[in-house]
Amino acid sequence: MSFTQAFLIALFGYFASNYSPWLIGQMGGWYTIGRPLVAGAIIGAILGDIQQGIIIGAAIQALYIGLVTPGGTMPADVNFAAYIGIPLAMVSGSPAEYAVSLSVPLSFLGVSMVYLVITVNVFFVHLQERWIKEGKFGLAGNIPIIGSVTNFVFRFFIIFLANYYGANYVKQLIELIPTSLGNFFIVLGGMLPAVGFGLLLKYVLKENIELLYFLFGFILISVFHLPIVPATIIAMFLAYIDFKYSKEEVA
Amino acid sequence: MAEKKLTKKDVIRAYFDWIMFALSCQNMERMEAPALVRMMARVIHKLYDDVEEKKKVLLRHTHFFNTQPLIGSMIPGIVLGMEEQKANDSNISEEMIIGVKAALMGPFAGIGDSLMVGTYIPILLSIALGLSGESGSLLGPIFYAVAYLGVMFPLTWFLFNTGYKTGLTAAQSILSGGVKDKINKAINIVGLTVVGAISAQYVKAKIGLIYSSGQMQVDLLKSLEGIFPSLIPMLLTLLSWYLMDKKNMKIGTVFSHICNYGCGSNIHENTGTLTMR
Repeated sequence: MSFTQAFLIALFGYFASNYSPWLIGQMGGWYTIGRPLVAGAIIGAILGDIQQGIIIGAAIQALYIGLVTPGGTMPADVNFAAYIGIPLAMVSGSPAEYAVSLSVPLSFLGVSMVYLVITVNVFFVHLQERWIKEGKFGLAGNIPIIGSVTNFVFRFFIIFLANYYGANYVKQLIELIPTSLGNFFIVLGGMLPAVGFGLLLKYVLKENIELLYFLFGFILISVFHLPIVPATIIAMFLAYIDFKYSKEEVA
Repeated sequence: MAEKKLTKKDVIRAYFDWIMFALSCQNMERMEAPALVRMMARVIHKLYDDVEEKKKVLLRHTHFFNTQPLIGSMIPGIVLGMEEQKANDSNISEEMIIGVKAALMGPFAGIGDSLMVGTYIPILLSIALGLSGESGSLLGPIFYAVAYLGVMFPLTWFLFNTGYKTGLTAAQSILSGGVKDKINKAINIVGLTVVGAISAQYVKAKIGLIYSSGQMQVDLLKSLEGIFPSLIPMLLTLLSWYLMDKKNMKIGTVFSHICNYGCGSNIHENTGTLTMR
């Protein structure tokens, strides 16, 4: 693969990642050119065989068709699977099955990158808060642009290097990342939201006894395993009861 | 004092600020909050003249916020409308805005994930796969892109704009109804319950202390889970609230404690004798 081709694929791969803002955010990126089927057409055009690109893209797409990525959890990341798996399969002249088998470890590599990026990004939030306190509102407002650099580094360069140096490099890259490092970010990533929720509680909570509502919501999910919408309806019911039966306050 | 008003252009720009940057600086601690700050930072000079007031507005949007960015675009719209109303009417409390955000983010994430990501996209993709799976025809990708963007682009703008108008009028009608405190409390109850519910979804921490003596093994985690599922994540959340609210500990300090714990548990995991995960 030529330098220009690898460069172009890496650029589109970056635009197609979940955290890239440049194609109207998630709408044109992750959910449009980020879908392996659409990615197949783009990669095919870059490599000069649109039809083959789409056939391989469709095979990967079929594997991930029902992929839902709720909240902060990411079961699989199709970005590397599409933008590394499809071009490598095309260049080597392998059948679509090769790309599909390659896409599974690649999607896990993608997941560890996601956790890496959103852990590193914590730095930018604190910077934003500091800039607000110092009155630098313009800079604080630009944090989402400045902070998008993390995602660029871990998407663009990995896709570029993987495509430019080929399949062997990808294998080494996957082996290079020690499982303990991946585990570390997943463990840390699991605990960090506690800080965010703690901070939110500090502002929402007026009296300590109201912690009962928090615990109630927690139990609805952890013990009763309710989906979030019914849990909210129960909360609205509680709020209505409170509204109806609490004494009128004289304004 | 002149009325503080946002123009149509401001609202459109706020929409793009949200839609584009919702995830670009997503992070494990506050998720999509940086994008809300950006949206507000770009209109703040139209709403307030006083620097301290501006700081207060932006700081209240640095809190944890996470939803499905596209379907949930209604929430930033509501926030924008309420903030504009608040700039003109100091009766609207900060708590109300924070409470509304907390109460809405969970349900919108749930609806967005199941309806758009879990239903609409798979349906479009299966049609597209049917069009080009075997033949490699360009028809499939084009159909998907047109059908997806053609619906989502107008829909997200509609949601954002409706949210904005709702935010403006809802805040007004609540105030004129004379039951402001009761409504505030009701919003607060929904907010707190939903925050509890999503904490249970997001916070993950385990303790793996296994006491073994001969054949006997006591798994502490298992016994704890038997008493209360997800006890450790709950305690961890409450602990960080306690440290920040009651002990006035800085966020950075709490953060580094958690990092230390994370590092520590990883080392233990490798030695194998005392496993913490």
